[in-house]
Amino acid sequence: MLRNVFFKSLQEQQRSLFWWVIGLSALNIVTILFYPSFANRPELNEIFEDLGPLAEAFMGPIEDFTSPEGFIDSQLFSFMIPLLFVAFGIFSGSGSIAGEEERGTLDLLLSNPLHRRQVILEKFGANLIAMALLGVGTWIGLVAGAVMVSMDISWLRLAEATVSSALLGTSFGALAFALGSARGKRGTAAGVSAAIGVAAFLLNTLVPLVELLEPLTRISPFHYYNSAMPLFNGLDPLHAFALVATTAVLFIVALVTFERRDLGIG
Amino acid sequence: MTTGFGDVIHLESLTKFYGETRALHDIDLTVRVGEVFGYLGPNGAGKTTTIRTLFDFIRPTSGKATVLGLDSQADAREIRRRVDYLPGDIALYDRMTGRELLKFLANLRGGVDWNYVEQLAERFQSDLNPRIRTLSRGNKQKIGLIQAFMKRPELIIMDEPTAGLDPLMQQEFYALVEEVKAEGRTIFISSHIVPEVERICDRVGIIREGELATVEDVHVLKDRALHQLEFRFAQSVPPEVFANLPGVRDVVVEGTTLNGTVVGSPDAMVKAAANYEVVGLTSRETSLEDVFLAFYDGDSPNAA
Ligand SMILES: Nc1ncnc2c1ncn2[C@@H]1O[C@H](COP(=O)(O)OP(=O)(O)OP(=O)(O)O)[C@@H](O)[C@H]1O
Ligand SMILES: [Mg+2]
Repeated sequence: MLRNVFFKSLQEQQRSLFWWVIGLSALNIVTILFYPSFANRPELNEIFEDLGPLAEAFMGPIEDFTSPEGFIDSQLFSFMIPLLFVAFGIFSGSGSIAGEEERGTLDLLLSNPLHRRQVILEKFGANLIAMALLGVGTWIGLVAGAVMVSMDISWLRLAEATVSSALLGTSFGALAFALGSARGKRGTAAGVSAAIGVAAFLLNTLVPLVELLEPLTRISPFHYYNSAMPLFNGLDPLHAFALVATTAVLFIVALVTFERRDLGIG
Repeated sequence: MTTGFGDVIHLESLTKFYGETRALHDIDLTVRVGEVFGYLGPNGAGKTTTIRTLFDFIRPTSGKATVLGLDSQADAREIRRRVDYLPGDIALYDRMTGRELLKFLANLRGGVDWNYVEQLAERFQSDLNPRIRTLSRGNKQKIGLIQAFMKRPELIIMDEPTAGLDPLMQQEFYALVEEVKAEGRTIFISSHIVPEVERICDRVGIIREGELATVEDVHVLKDRALHQLEFRFAQSVPPEVFANLPGVRDVVVEGTTLNGTVVGSPDAMVKAAANYEVVGLTSRETSLEDVFLAFYDGDSPNAA
């Protein structure tokens, strides 16, 4: 496990990742266990409809809350799962370079035969793998819940929706990573990323209430996360690409800014 | 590569500003192969800034640094491969044990003989099993020292290496420095402890407020060192007997107690005192300020 910076960085996240996986899969299972009591009550659909557009904004534009997809999308993929993936991304992204720099261990790490860009690459790679593992854990929780209540839902579609969440989380993780690499401040990196995350979420959910402003949602990563409804239709390649491209650009920002500045003087 | 000639470290008009603060100003410095070089200066003088420039953690505002003939910026990775480093105020990975940390660093560096690591740990009486978080400051410092020595690099750069070490461990460290030197390898040490530098270094650079005041062989520093001596005699003594001795100044007699400052060897003063009955003797350690005074004072300290 201590062979290089990549494995070391992954190992540092091991314990927290473990609890994130436990938490997310438990959330999924427990939520899905409530499904049978929803499924037999189609009148709930009307109640939700009466709640109006604000509820729709937060729970997704779903006709049928009592179908398996409708239930999981409204209860998990509209809010909780993306929120937690974004939080995990920011947590691990801000902890990478900025965490190391604030704890003062960056000097020790970079006294080894490494290029700065190599440290960026390996730490970023470790974060990608951590996010992927969280995705796998989340998916297993969804499938386990579905099996327990004999829900009729495609495991592949569950995986595609989870991948979409992981891509969303990764793009905010990359934002926190880039801010941390550029400034070396963990708290700032996490705080600014979280603020942008909340703004992007609200932009995507509230702005469509005003029809004229609807196109504005296209600047929010949340639009590319769920507007194509991957749980129903599968992953939209263009939307997935938009999230990957955002991540790639932020990764390059991290590389360039970290290469240029004085380290450990903040 | 350890043998052969040339400069191990070469600084050329090295200047560094932190915003408005000038940390280094036009430093020119050369460290030669095989020497133990002491970089001496008070707090905030610019020692850490200089050292962190050598590893490309900090970019000079102007000027240039080469290490082993390699450019500090362009060849940073190669420098890091061939030079090992003890950071000042070292921060280690707290959650690892000493052994895990050293294994990790050994993996990153390659070419580390683990037997030698165990040997170093034994010499420093360093227990590698507990988590680093639980270690005392001095015991953390020992882990830092072990990692700096373990690869036997041709150059070791250490920022205040004895900070936090007890006297016994300091001796062990000095012995290790001797061994490295005997193998023809080079050591660069920053310090603000004069006796330490006197003891282990061949040459000394004195830095103050970002400027290099002087670079001298260490025996020159010793010649200029100040000794504050206090003698207590059985009866009162005539001050003029002492005041006129070579290198002695600031003689004050109060009752049967005599205070004086000696530049260089205290031999003459001690011999003069021996003519009277001495009931007590105190010698105060030379402080860095005293050394600076000796360097900057008008009356030539080398008159002896
Ligand atoms: N990050 C920073 N931002 C602004 N000024 C700094 C910073 N780091 C150091 N300085 C200033 O640069 C000067 C040199 O600092 P440096 O840390 O190199 O001193 P030093 O000789 O290592 O001191 P010490 O013996 O206390 O370790 C000091 O005046 C210090 O205040
Ligand atoms: Mg310092």
